[in-house]
Amino acid sequence: MEDTETFTLLPLKMDPQSKAITSTSGSRALQEELATLNNIHRSLLTLDSPVPPPPIPVNPKRSANITKLRESGNNEFRKGRHPEAIRFYDLGLQMALTRPAWEPSGLVRDEVAGLYANRAQAHMAMSNWVEGSVDAESSVEAKKVGNAKAWWRKGRCLMEMGRLEEAKEWVGRGLEMEGNEADLVGLLKDIEEKSKKA
Amino acid sequence: MYRKRKAANSANLAPWFPPHLQRNIYLSLLHLDPAEGKEKSPAVPESVLRAALLRRAVEDIRRIIEIRSAKQACSTLLQRGSIGDDLWQRFLRAEKEMEEELRDVVMEANALAPNWGQTIFQSANEIAAGTMFQNRLKEIQAQTDVEKEWWEKRRASIQSEFMKELDIPTTTVGKSSDDDAVLVESANGSIRNKKGKK
Repeated sequence: MEDTETFTLLPLKMDPQSKAITSTSGSRALQEELATLNNIHRSLLTLDSPVPPPPIPVNPKRSANITKLRESGNNEFRKGRHPEAIRFYDLGLQMALTRPAWEPSGLVRDEVAGLYANRAQAHMAMSNWVEGSVDAESSVEAKKVGNAKAWWRKGRCLMEMGRLEEAKEWVGRGLEMEGNEADLVGLLKDIEEKSKKA
Repeated sequence: MYRKRKAANSANLAPWFPPHLQRNIYLSLLHLDPAEGKEKSPAVPESVLRAALLRRAVEDIRRIIEIRSAKQACSTLLQRGSIGDDLWQRFLRAEKEMEEELRDVVMEANALAPNWGQTIFQSANEIAAGTMFQNRLKEIQAQTDVEKEWWEKRRASIQSEFMKELDIPTTTVGKSSDDDAVLVESANGSIRNKKGKK
């Protein structure tokens, strides 16, 4: 950083109507930052207060909607209507990921961990192993511990695609996180048996 | 005397962090140039300034995290003599500048909204953590297309291998019937295997 007493004057302009900040500079970093700034300005304007409220307490409305969408998805899944289930999980994910940025990021993690894990399951029910694998990994990214289901699902998808080495490695990592979770131990055995045959 | 010279030298050392883009934007907005043909600078609404200050606080959070994780490593390396005093001086200066920066932001925040100084870094912390998490998710989800392309090809090749294996019995007709029987059986066996993998 430069001296704390000085700063670099940037060539900025403000649109008098929209109040959007722009720059004639060719710097990509500056252009990207200004786009982020204008977005956060727009979302600040939707608030009742001039500044973001503290992260806690959270307005329960969005959480309730997300839960409802997840449950609707689960209902469709139980009826065997997998594409419909995926559509509900999609909507839930959209709602969870567009939560105002200053709300608790831990809450977002929790919500999307469940939705991705469920969407992975619906994809697997249709033998969409790639989508299942990517969604299960996303779920694990959101919640690494206490998420044995998602660890298991990606492992299973990799196995189904014949990627046995990756599957072994993945499930091994899952076991480190989840202790000796029985389903993961079982899956590892299946993968090892398949490797022997191949 | 030696100390003093050292301190003077440290002023010429390269800064730890690159220029603080968000800080420069915020301060540039306070000193916006008048539009062409106008004498007065356009009045930047406070909401824009609040957004810009929030962005500045988010970058500060990123830098604080970086400094905290570097501190442990740097002091260990300094004790072992693995790094020179120069680097340590640069680090200490960055740490001091960050403290000043945080004080500055709290003051500015309180000037823009009553008591905002107490919560701006809480909000910034959630924004920083949430952004990092969402970027990771995007990376993972972005694999879907490449992986799907790979899987389509792989599935096609499994299928064609499987068709070839089906052909084997007819192409080997003419050999002894004992061989034939074995081949048919092994072909059947692998059909079951391939099906199981899909």
